[in-house]
Amino acid sequence: MGKTTYKRLKGSQSFRQRLLLSTLSSTPIIIDEIRADDMIPGLLRHEMSLLRLFETVSDDCVVEVNETGTRLKYKPGIIMGGKNLVHNCALTRSMGYYLEPLLLLGLFGKKPLSIRLRGVTDDPKDPSVDTFRNASLHILKRFGVPSEGLDLKIEARGVAPEGGGEVVLTVPNVQTLTAVQWVEEGMVKRIRGWTFSARVSSDFEHSMRFAARGIFNNLLPDVHIFNDHKSGPQAGKSPGYGITLVAETIEGCYISADTTVSCGRTDETGEVDEEKQERKPAEDTGVEIASWLLQEIEKGGVVDSTHQGLLFILCALCQQDVSKVRVGPLSPYGVETLRNLKEFLGVTFSFRPDPSTSTVVLTCVGSGLVNLSRKLS
Amino acid sequence: MAADELMPTHKSHRPPKSGPTMEKKSENDKKKRGVSDNKQQNPKAFSFTSAAKAKILKLHAAEKEQKRIHLPTIDRNYGDPPPFVVVVQGSPGVGKSLLIKSLVKHFTHQNVPEVRGPITIVQGSKNRIQFVECPNDINGMVDCAKVADLAILLIDGSYGFEMETFEFLNIMQVHGFPKVMGVLTHLDKFNDVKKLRKTKKRLTHRFWTEIYKGAKLFYLSGLIHGKYSKLEVDKLSCFISLSLTKFHPLKWRTSHPYVLADRIEDVSPPEKVQMDKKCERNISLYGYLRGCNLKKGMKVHIAGVGDYSLAGVTALPDPCPLPSAAKKKGLRDREKLFYAPMSGIGDLLYDKDAVYININDHLVQYSKADDEIGDPTNKGKGRDVGEDLVKSLQNTKYSVDEKLGKTFINLFGKKTISTSSERKLEEESSESGDDETEDCVMDVESSDGKTKQKNEIHGGRLRRKAIFKDEVGDSDAMGSDQDDVEGEEDVESDGDESEDEEDDSASDSQDLDEDDVQEAEDKVLGNISKWKEPLKEKGREKKPNLMQIVYGASRSSATTPLLNETHAISDDDEESDAEDFFKPKGEQSKNLGGAINVGYVNADDCSRFVNYGNLKNWKEKEDCEIIRNRFTTGDWSKAALRNQNSVPGDEGEELYGDFEDLEAENVESGTNQNKDSEVVERRLTKKLALREKFDANNPIYSEAKELGYVDKVSKCFCHLFAVVCSLYVLFQLKEELETRKQMNMLELNDLDEDTRIEVEGFRTGTYLRLEIHNVPCEMVEFFDPCHPVLIGGIDYGEDNAGYMQARLKKHRWHKKVLKTRDPIIVSIGWRRYQTVPVYAIEDRNDRHRMLKYTPEHMHCLATFWGPLVPPNTGFVAFQNLSSNQAEFRIIATSVVLEYNHQARIAKKIKLVGHPCKIKKKTAFIKDMFTSDLEIARFEGSSVRTVSGIRGHVKKAGKNMLDNNAQEGIARCTFEDQIKMSDIVFLKAWPTVEVPQFYNPLTTALQPRERTWRGMRTFWELRRQHNISIPINKDSLYKPIERKIKKFNPLVISKKLQEELPFASKPKNKPGRKRPSLDARRAVVMEPGERRALAIVQQLKLMNKVKMIKRKAKEQEKRKAYEAEKAKEEVISKKRNREERRERYRTEDKQKNKKMRRNQD
Repeated sequence: MGKTTYKRLKGSQSFRQRLLLSTLSSTPIIIDEIRADDMIPGLLRHEMSLLRLFETVSDDCVVEVNETGTRLKYKPGIIMGGKNLVHNCALTRSMGYYLEPLLLLGLFGKKPLSIRLRGVTDDPKDPSVDTFRNASLHILKRFGVPSEGLDLKIEARGVAPEGGGEVVLTVPNVQTLTAVQWVEEGMVKRIRGWTFSARVSSDFEHSMRFAARGIFNNLLPDVHIFNDHKSGPQAGKSPGYGITLVAETIEGCYISADTTVSCGRTDETGEVDEEKQERKPAEDTGVEIASWLLQEIEKGGVVDSTHQGLLFILCALCQQDVSKVRVGPLSPYGVETLRNLKEFLGVTFSFRPDPSTSTVVLTCVGSGLVNLSRKLS
Repeated sequence: MAADELMPTHKSHRPPKSGPTMEKKSENDKKKRGVSDNKQQNPKAFSFTSAAKAKILKLHAAEKEQKRIHLPTIDRNYGDPPPFVVVVQGSPGVGKSLLIKSLVKHFTHQNVPEVRGPITIVQGSKNRIQFVECPNDINGMVDCAKVADLAILLIDGSYGFEMETFEFLNIMQVHGFPKVMGVLTHLDKFNDVKKLRKTKKRLTHRFWTEIYKGAKLFYLSGLIHGKYSKLEVDKLSCFISLSLTKFHPLKWRTSHPYVLADRIEDVSPPEKVQMDKKCERNISLYGYLRGCNLKKGMKVHIAGVGDYSLAGVTALPDPCPLPSAAKKKGLRDREKLFYAPMSGIGDLLYDKDAVYININDHLVQYSKADDEIGDPTNKGKGRDVGEDLVKSLQNTKYSVDEKLGKTFINLFGKKTISTSSERKLEEESSESGDDETEDCVMDVESSDGKTKQKNEIHGGRLRRKAIFKDEVGDSDAMGSDQDDVEGEEDVESDGDESEDEEDDSASDSQDLDEDDVQEAEDKVLGNISKWKEPLKEKGREKKPNLMQIVYGASRSSATTPLLNETHAISDDDEESDAEDFFKPKGEQSKNLGGAINVGYVNADDCSRFVNYGNLKNWKEKEDCEIIRNRFTTGDWSKAALRNQNSVPGDEGEELYGDFEDLEAENVESGTNQNKDSEVVERRLTKKLALREKFDANNPIYSEAKELGYVDKVSKCFCHLFAVVCSLYVLFQLKEELETRKQMNMLELNDLDEDTRIEVEGFRTGTYLRLEIHNVPCEMVEFFDPCHPVLIGGIDYGEDNAGYMQARLKKHRWHKKVLKTRDPIIVSIGWRRYQTVPVYAIEDRNDRHRMLKYTPEHMHCLATFWGPLVPPNTGFVAFQNLSSNQAEFRIIATSVVLEYNHQARIAKKIKLVGHPCKIKKKTAFIKDMFTSDLEIARFEGSSVRTVSGIRGHVKKAGKNMLDNNAQEGIARCTFEDQIKMSDIVFLKAWPTVEVPQFYNPLTTALQPRERTWRGMRTFWELRRQHNISIPINKDSLYKPIERKIKKFNPLVISKKLQEELPFASKPKNKPGRKRPSLDARRAVVMEPGERRALAIVQQLKLMNKVKMIKRKAKEQEKRKAYEAEKAKEEVISKKRNREERRERYRTEDKQKNKKMRRNQD
């Protein structure tokens, strides 16, 4: 031993998962050729911020980035967790980007994690904080994570480009995760929604709500959309509004869809993203997101396409029992996750497509990861 | 009459009224009458006198009850268990080999000339045993203790216990205590029966104190014709097989895979070895996998060598399989298999691509024993021996296949068959020797069924894509070819579109199910059209299934960016929704947006994949109807159907129908599966019934609780409820685990063999061949088959080094305390290494204070550097490994508490300084620090003087003191002015660094008899270099010399004098030259007075003399008296001791007698 052997990887793809799985399985990694041929080479701001976040949460981890940022050497430390941590997220990505790995990291820490994140709370690219609060955390509970101490508090909203939002995430520790047999999607019994508006008129919210409800009229009466109009310091620094919809089934599955409308953030090159230039009316946003939710429900699976990655990682981290989950069509992120899981944890899934419902049933044996950093009393 | 009178009268019979016979009789009598003798003589004496005491006793009882209960653990061994490891341990010359030989002889009726390495035998229809002889050095003992399922401790009865036995016991206790059995040998050396009995008793009791009361200790009375007596060996083997039935799983072992190698081969290329004898070797190790499943790519630790990654793992057919027929009592002679390659006996050696047969004259017997199945080949002897052996070999292999087939509970008939045919194919192809081609052939087989169904449903477009993804440099022409063929296949499958996928696969399996391997292969090729044959030769005709799409593509994407190729895909846009679930959605996205591409190495890291472009108009009623049943407002029964489709139980029903036209063998296996599932079901229903029963009991409690009765009901009753509840919880847990296990088995049996290995790894109990590259040549050179070769798997993060904190206790038999920073050798997890610990103890305020030495009888914390192990892992420590040491070699036992990246141990230092200048409350302190830099480090820390005045260090006082520019003078402020004579202390807690040192023990890389040498302790170094212990002169105790202080006369100021009251005022008397009148005058006595005075003087004198005389006399008397007393005391002491001894002896006897009586 003595010398550490690094796992060699390439490119910036699935950066978060690589870091996360490398930390959980304590495998040191070297990532080469990170956007080596791009206009803006090397690690981006949010990736650096993520590395800082990992440094905050864990102890003794070694991060080495070369001058151009195209090569990263990461040697994981011990996940510490702890209270009263603060992290300022880079504004180029929203909080969902950071929360996804952080949730899992916190579970396997030495102490329960309680961290305050500052930055952009919602944007259309990543799942919003409302989705995390109302869908992702429920998925964790399925795997034996105690519900006390598992919380996400939204203290202030902040949308791109300036951010200014603030959330507090608390995650308890677990010894191991329990395997699940989660193939029944069940029927949707209620739909809940959360809209917010910051630094804009609350009329946007009303129109979104009204439009979204209109879509569900044919299907379900139990639809309730809460509104959350923020002003003053709680509204962050930029104007914007957004909507999150979560459908809950009788089997306890949560299927979510969300979006946010805000000013486009300027790229590092100084250009504004082209897609963001034209903005739809708020009604259209509401209709769109409600339709998307129905689309997700149609696809089937116990989670929506956004949460496939999280679900697969959780399955792979379980005890050495068989987990069985049903998901809709595999999303690219889900496929990427499966590959990473095989690479880092050696967990291979077996697939059984179910043609009658156009879903896939995935089976795996957990890697039996045990939270080793917890102290023996 | 007269005669009577004349005869002397006989004593009439007097029945005995006491004595053992009478006691027995009276007892029998009582039994007959039905009187129980259980009544206590004094029942009141054993009832509770106080409620508090009763409560305590009850609590104690409850606690004991709870301690007895173990948290149930899930058993994840699904197949045949690996052979149980029976370690035979004992000091040299105690008869270990002989015992193994006798036991092997007993079980298999074969003679083992020499015991080297593990010997595997089939002991019964259910279990196998692997005998391992424990070598005599401590390294071997450690390795043996880590793998033992049962340890047989051999003890020389004529000599008594030896240290090795206790050392081994202690090692086992730390590494998870397996079952232990003691065997006393050499009992024929006793001539005196009484002495023998006494020794037995003494040894038994000593053994009990060490393990537990009632631990089994056997006696082997002696040798007959150089062997142990048959009867005793019979008995011992009986107990061995009994004790191997039930185990409490050991935590470390169930979470780590391990292999005890029973064969080792040097497979490095011979030319390389010839070139350089010291080159690094490749070895392959063989053995049964134990513990938990072994995944590919896991790292392993070879005990005594180091960490290696596995270059290759292959599952081999079991060399010592369990008998196949289940319902039978005992073993037939030919099933008593026997495998010990290191001892050079077993005649078959299995390898990855070959089977070696050893033909020896005296082994002909084996060939006769081995003809298992079918045709009675008694004439085998008449035939060629080699031929016969080969035949038997085929037979054994067949049985393995059969067994594999049997493991499937799943009702997919196709799967078992396809796997078996796969195996056959594999064998065939493996002859060609090329691994890659072998893989491909297998893939064809395994994926065949699935692909077909896909074709049926989706018209096969998808297949093309996957192939596209797979290939790296192939042309597009290939794609068009495939298109054509897909069309063909569509035509083929159109006929049976109505069939389900299961049906289809079953029919496939029919096709495949042919005895002849060749034929099966032909069929496979027949299924695939002719055009594919050239492709097959190229070795890339993998048919896409979802698994390959996901995992197969990743390989190529990891190496080369697939950007161009992925763009090339986008030619068909009209795919329906039903289709796209067969491939990652990313591809579809490429077709639509082209923004996200899976294979691109710098792809955006985003979990969301949203495409609002193709949203349906959900406002339309028709569109809503599609998902109507996904809502509670829809049709519930239809929604229930949706989930039922994929429940495996249902598929079984459909499958049964297809079994009729399968061959007889398959029907058999099918029914077997059927039976299995039935058994499982029955068990489950039984369990459910039991649970209901429990539930029925339980509501009483909950009801009582609801009604608030619990408070009113007596506490005793409550206690009862608590016990019931805890049992209930336990029961529930157990049941949960059982259902989980069943579920796991069901799910895993669903998979075909290759996917199963991929998904869960190699199962425990398989015979594995592990290939390891670049091992030092010394391992091969100094390989000694008598030493166990232990290969243990390493979990995530266990190959990283870090600080570990352990709760350590010096072993009570080690004579010295341990010194901080003296190297110790620890055996922890699979590893053995030398490390340097720092001992500490936790203070009240959470501080870890360094200790120079371990406490004598207390636990302390030890922090050391080494490869991490999970908390709660125990370890033992040694300092000296040499075998010729008479003392106890284990110095400490310990358990790891946590690991960390830093060691927060502090030690106390006290800096001493003196004031050099005092300015009111500020003082300049010298001698405390040596430099200003040091002062800067201690700024703000608190100081205090001897008199208790507290203060703080402010800053270096260099600038303040004008005259001397000396370094290391600190300015401190105090709460009061201090004196120049004060001494100032600064107490601080600097952190102690734990040395980052660990040195793995490479005992396998040197001759085993040589003692391993690592870092030496201080003591050894000093001894070697003849250096005495350095003495700090300041630490020595010296007599305290205090100068007598001279005080100046008291001077009272004039002002004060004036204010004093007159009485206190010093009187100012002028000194006079002449003495006063009183002093000057002479006294003249009267004659009467003079006489009186003289008389008084005389009287006083007389009295004085008298007193002196009396005193002397008294002294003399006392002396005499004391002498007398001392003499008496000596005598009385002697007498007392004898008296007491006598008394104790009688008391003890009585007690023993009473005990015996009670026992009777």
